[in-house]
Amino acid sequence: MAPALEVADVHKSFGGVRAVSGVSLSLERGRIHGLIGPNGSGKTTLFNCITGVERLDRGRILLDGEPIHGLQPYEIARRGVGRTFQMIRVFPELTALENLLVVTRGPRAAAEAHARELLAFVRLQDLAGEYAGNLSYGQQKLVEFVRMLMRDPSLVLLDEPAAGVNRTLLNELLDAVRRLRDAGKTVLLVEHDMKVVMGLCETVFVLDHGEKIAEGPPGVIQSDQRVIEAYFGR
Amino acid sequence: MNIVITPAMIGQVIISGILSGVLYSMVALGLALIFGVMRIINVAHGPLLMLGAYTTFFLYSAFGLNPYLTVPISMAVLFVAGVVLERTLVFRVVDAPELSSLLLTFGISIALVNGAQLAFTSDLRAVEYITGSWVLGPFAFSKSRVIAFVFAGFLTGGAFLFLRSTRLGKAIRATSQSREVAMVCGIDVGKIHRLTFGLASALAAAGGALISVIVAIQPEMGQIWTFKSFLVIVLGGAGNYPGALLGGMLLGLIEQLASLFLTTQLSEVVAYVLLVLVLLVRPTGLLGGRQT
Repeated sequence: MAPALEVADVHKSFGGVRAVSGVSLSLERGRIHGLIGPNGSGKTTLFNCITGVERLDRGRILLDGEPIHGLQPYEIARRGVGRTFQMIRVFPELTALENLLVVTRGPRAAAEAHARELLAFVRLQDLAGEYAGNLSYGQQKLVEFVRMLMRDPSLVLLDEPAAGVNRTLLNELLDAVRRLRDAGKTVLLVEHDMKVVMGLCETVFVLDHGEKIAEGPPGVIQSDQRVIEAYFGR
Repeated sequence: MNIVITPAMIGQVIISGILSGVLYSMVALGLALIFGVMRIINVAHGPLLMLGAYTTFFLYSAFGLNPYLTVPISMAVLFVAGVVLERTLVFRVVDAPELSSLLLTFGISIALVNGAQLAFTSDLRAVEYITGSWVLGPFAFSKSRVIAFVFAGFLTGGAFLFLRSTRLGKAIRATSQSREVAMVCGIDVGKIHRLTFGLASALAAAGGALISVIVAIQPEMGQIWTFKSFLVIVLGGAGNYPGALLGGMLLGLIEQLASLFLTTQLSEVVAYVLLVLVLLVRPTGLLGGRQT
């Protein structure tokens, strides 16, 4: 069976800067993977390549064995890739409910029922009619998270889910991520909080200067010499 | 020169201001939509309005159609023209620097105006369908302007209802709030762009069809509408759709009041002085635009 996602020898440069340079990695279905690395190591660029926001210079990206590089971002989203952003991106002038509904197709009543269910899942049901821009930071983060779930993605990309979130909310988010995994979804998350990465991920990939320098279970990664050098210098 | 200004005169200019203001709002809403969704100032907006006016003129003169019945036809024709323009030319400059899109739409504008001169000649055309006024007490309501006001009011209201309540309308607003997110959420942003450009062109066409009954039609009638629409969206706050409504009403009122208190020549200047003032004092517009 093909891996949930296969990134093969992906290159992406901006001008003379090689943001991602020959990265290959493969995600196992139904597992949580971490993507770490110092600032500017190419994590977000790799996310952008997977979601089709950036075009690859070279390389291939396969979702369930099917090539998705070269597709439009909306086509990739419709094939089951969901994503959240480092800086939250809700549609501020749509209500929480509308934020979820706007990404759906198909019959409206079913979509609305599903959206209300998801809002209840993160305990925002009472704020469904509130403009997303008026919600707190944490609430916006939750709206963004469940908006991604509206299309029932098979692959979930999370860009720094823990950033700027208080402990209580963080634990809820992490629980939600584990439940996604238990429901058979594949997760790839970029995170700076090492406690989160080590506690949540089953496999960790490390990027530095656009290259993958290590891959393995969190315990092994923590003691990897190259990883320590990348973070702390020689 | 010593003119006594009576309260009735002020009432009259306020009425006239509101009547033309809604028309400004409707046409400017098109420009605001394109700017909001695609971050492009469409310099060809006015020339598209001109094409709408010609469509009405030809349907009226060739087939004897009631010019008000041609409004939906003009809108449909220009909707298609807008979609085709977006699909062939404008989509290329969506992500380009502002100067590229300005130059492109400026080029389209020149091509449309000169094409119209070639095809239709520069002769002034008129749709003489309805003249005169309804008189109510001390006030006179120009019939063609009242009808234009009613049409523009309904169409603008309809456009807002569409943006507020339909899924497509919400997708348009979502795209204007954050294009990148809309993309990765599965919204076909290219389709939204085409639709927006078509819709904006249709609003311009409705403006053209309605004013064809009021003023003379000629190939260069459109440019002033580009400028006025731009002024309206700057007044209201660029990217702020209700702001376009407010801006249009304000422009209508200011123009009319200026024509009462100043000479006619100066009243045209007032609008532009206002543009400079707003840009200096409150560059985000009166209602505040969207921060990017």
